[in-house]
Amino acid sequence: MRDFLPIFEMDVRNLFRNPVLIGYNTVFAGGLILIIGWLMGDSYARVSDAYQYYAITLLVYGTFSGAMTATNCFMERDIKKPNLRIIYSPAGGSSVWLSKMLASFVFDYALHIVLLILCGTLLGVTFGSNPLAFIVLMAPAELFGTALGTFGCCVLHSEELASTVLSLVVSLLCVLGGTFFSPDALGGPVATISLLSPVRWFDDAFFAMACDNDLSSFWPVFLGCSVAIAVLVIGCKHFFRTEDYL
Amino acid sequence: MESLLSVRGLTKSFKGNQVLCGIGFDVIPGEVLCILGPNGAGKSTTINILTATLAADKGEIRFGGKPITDNLRAYKQQLGIVPQDIALYEELSAERNLRFFASLYGLRGSRLDAAVEEALAFAELVDRRHDQVKTFSGGMKRRLNIACAIAHHPTLVIMDEPTVGIDPQRRNHILESILRLRDGGTTVIYTTHYMEEVGAISSRIIVLDHGAIIAEGTKESLKESIASERHCLVEVDVPETTSDDTTVLRSVRESLFSVDGVKSVSIEGATIDVTSVAGIENVDGIVSAIVGQGLPIKNMTSVPVSLEMVFLKLTGRKLRD
Repeated sequence: MRDFLPIFEMDVRNLFRNPVLIGYNTVFAGGLILIIGWLMGDSYARVSDAYQYYAITLLVYGTFSGAMTATNCFMERDIKKPNLRIIYSPAGGSSVWLSKMLASFVFDYALHIVLLILCGTLLGVTFGSNPLAFIVLMAPAELFGTALGTFGCCVLHSEELASTVLSLVVSLLCVLGGTFFSPDALGGPVATISLLSPVRWFDDAFFAMACDNDLSSFWPVFLGCSVAIAVLVIGCKHFFRTEDYL
Repeated sequence: MESLLSVRGLTKSFKGNQVLCGIGFDVIPGEVLCILGPNGAGKSTTINILTATLAADKGEIRFGGKPITDNLRAYKQQLGIVPQDIALYEELSAERNLRFFASLYGLRGSRLDAAVEEALAFAELVDRRHDQVKTFSGGMKRRLNIACAIAHHPTLVIMDEPTVGIDPQRRNHILESILRLRDGGTTVIYTTHYMEEVGAISSRIIVLDHGAIIAEGTKESLKESIASERHCLVEVDVPETTSDDTTVLRSVRESLFSVDGVKSVSIEGATIDVTSVAGIENVDGIVSAIVGQGLPIKNMTSVPVSLEMVFLKLTGRKLRD
């Protein structure tokens, strides 16, 4: 832990010094909610309903896109070389990838909470009678995204390759999960297939909490995601190679 | 004297291409051991294995008599590593970089403060301590790169071509700092393909080529190993009226080979390099052989044995080929 804290602190600071990542997780995500919500407003009873739908689905999209934050934090060109010094030190080992994963989680989670508050205050998006439960359930989604990104780097040994592959995977899961349009509208088979996407599980749980004050999906989704995170963490430990930094 | 670091049978292949072929060597406490070799000789692979960043296929490394795998953490605590590339956070100040990297070695509080001050002084960056690294010149970054590796007072400093891409003046500054480290009792392993650096700082030299150690010893002993030869450089005046320079020079070569003790002759432009067996007085014969072919001699010098010659002799090629 003594070794871990300085590395973690440095990783968090580096992320908050990265204007591109901050913009991607706030301005870009917020802009997307505004534009898609406004454009699709006619498809809903009210424009505010469109904002409600896209604020939730695009927040879930943002949490899963945390995979790209993690790949950036893990192996981005400018920080790869100083990270090599961490590998050289006695602290170099599991602390390296674990720190990147958790720092990316803290970064994404903080920015998405800000985005959530802005959506609530500026667009009138509601998060149910228990917004705290909503925020708590975002945590495993955020951690799943960053664990996926870290796992991708450990397995693929390259930031560029991991980012490319994971952005495709996340986009596919999001389209399948109903981020941009409801899969139920496309009929029975598509709706059934969409249940395979964890994005759909989170979307459904968040909509139930926000619109119906229904918390019944909270624990199944929370625990299911925790198991997936544990699998990814074990995978990172297994596949991480210090020579990937050379 | 007992070795600080002992390497035995280090072997490494990448995709079937053998990069290290069972190399072994010892590092004596307080010495500067230079690993010399051309690009692709296996220097960086050796360093990466010594720093425990890359796993060897076979072989053993012992530090202080114990296998490093027994307590990798304790081994790493004793190491200071200067990588070939600048490994610094560009957005942070010099002091912040030093503070962070030194803290990874367990330094805290007043010990950390003192270590950072000392490292800043070593790198001569005290007055630029608060400036972002990205505002530094190449030489300043190189100095800080070294300072970050030594702030925690390691027993063994491993430097992988730390002077690549910097001008000779700044290179000398870095070489002086390495000698200061040595004088302070630190052991240094230094890889390079600059012969003059080896000449300036080495206590001992390992010549690595194609993944194998082809020679090992002090500067003097390596030179001694080829002291059985003597080089004579002769600058001739090739007359403008000579219709066929090649024919003349070929005749000169043949005449020189008939001189007692001459082992080899190489001709580059108007300069003839004659290698003879040491101890045989054949200068008169060499002069006669050249003048006899109608070529006046402009200048003639006997060349002392250099490390460059040693390398050429050992590998059959120049270091930067």
